[in-house]
Amino acid sequence: MSKEKIQIEVNGKIVTVEVEPSDLLVDVLRENLGLTGTKAGCREGECGACSVILNGKVVASCLIPALKADRGKITTIEGLEKDGELHPLQKAFVEMGAIQCGFCTPGMLLSAKNLLDQNPHPTLEEVKTAISGVLCRCTGYQKIIHAIHAASETIRN
Amino acid sequence: MNQGRNLVWSKRLHWEKYLRPQSIPETLELLEESGGDARIIAGGTDLIPQIRNKEKAPKVLVDITRIPGLNEIKLEDGLIKLGALVTHSQVAESPLIREKALALSEGASLLGSPQIRNVGTVVGNVVNGQPGADTSIPLLALDAGVKVVSKKGERRISLLEFFIDTGRTAVDSNREMVTEVSFPALTENETSVSLRVARRKALALPILTLSVVLSADLKKKAFRYARIALGPVAPVPFRAQGAEKLLASALITDGIIKKTAQKAAQESNPRTSLLRGSEEYRRAIIANLAERGIRRGIERLEGKHV
Repeated sequence: MSKEKIQIEVNGKIVTVEVEPSDLLVDVLRENLGLTGTKAGCREGECGACSVILNGKVVASCLIPALKADRGKITTIEGLEKDGELHPLQKAFVEMGAIQCGFCTPGMLLSAKNLLDQNPHPTLEEVKTAISGVLCRCTGYQKIIHAIHAASETIRN
Repeated sequence: MNQGRNLVWSKRLHWEKYLRPQSIPETLELLEESGGDARIIAGGTDLIPQIRNKEKAPKVLVDITRIPGLNEIKLEDGLIKLGALVTHSQVAESPLIREKALALSEGASLLGSPQIRNVGTVVGNVVNGQPGADTSIPLLALDAGVKVVSKKGERRISLLEFFIDTGRTAVDSNREMVTEVSFPALTENETSVSLRVARRKALALPILTLSVVLSADLKKKAFRYARIALGPVAPVPFRAQGAEKLLASALITDGIIKKTAQKAAQESNPRTSLLRGSEEYRRAIIANLAERGIRRGIERLEGKHV
């Protein structure tokens, strides 16, 4: 098996990585780039813990071969804070108790960011649809839904 | 039979080559060179889990997502055409699809999750040949067909003939590629509806999906024709043609709607499944969904936004 080079923009930084043909994006992010905020859960696109934003769309990075992401623009959970300050979504999650064990949190936050990027004033129903691809086994979802809604209001003001 | 094998889980997947052709001829060339060891990957939302579950073990993946021109939704000569790279999200959000094929928009927006809809393709969903596929059912009701291209040329196959068995279609994945799915855009006196029953609203396999395409003359209070598709109630996506015949040219009455719904339930063959429920339960759901689908179609023809 011969390695190939891919060039991806991760959280605003262009990086070149050598990958195997069958490497998946989730493993390249976690192991080659050390971005372990992206979690590997079910590895079959069901749990959403591996969610990242690829070219403006939230995707399950466990289903994306690394070579498919070549030349792509990626935002991981590490890219949400700016200059040491948490993103309003992150602040709302902390303040409103939307985190328990934390394993789903990166996927929830990136799903929410992707929603607010496209639809800054979502309804609660739209928030629920946006996070429907991420499973949380602790919170019962209510606090997450309310935190995302609160963050959208904060951003609006 | 391979359950024991499936228990051996490994984090890494394995294939030898990942190729990224820039054109359809190049793709067909690569398929031929690989002599049956290659599979096309578009979104990969079915293929990657199939490789993980050891249902498939291709040595070569041929990624067609860099081929230009295949990600468009077009209306040409009354036909709506979706290129092989059109995603479920694109379809769900398309004003053209919402206006001319609402059932497909509804099917695509109920499939999987945002993460799946953003990369998974409609053509991939159809080619995968699952009897309950969320876009295959509305496409079957819409009388869609696919364009299959090989080095020998191209052919169009109606979805009525495309599905052969669960996971099997008329396309030869070793040397052919589906480049497009197309269907007639619905006109003023036609409408369509998709309904889905699942354990939860997101990321759940359908217990049942139904799509109806209806045409009626409301002044004469009569149906013109109906096409009713159901899944998974047979090894392939199923058209309830006996039920359709009952509605053709019939007066719109409660009686005929109920009779049609019962007929759809009778002629379907839902199986008892741990995931989807008992045969009896699912048959009752078919009648219920068919009745609701037809009634909703009539409401839509009356101009109601339901």
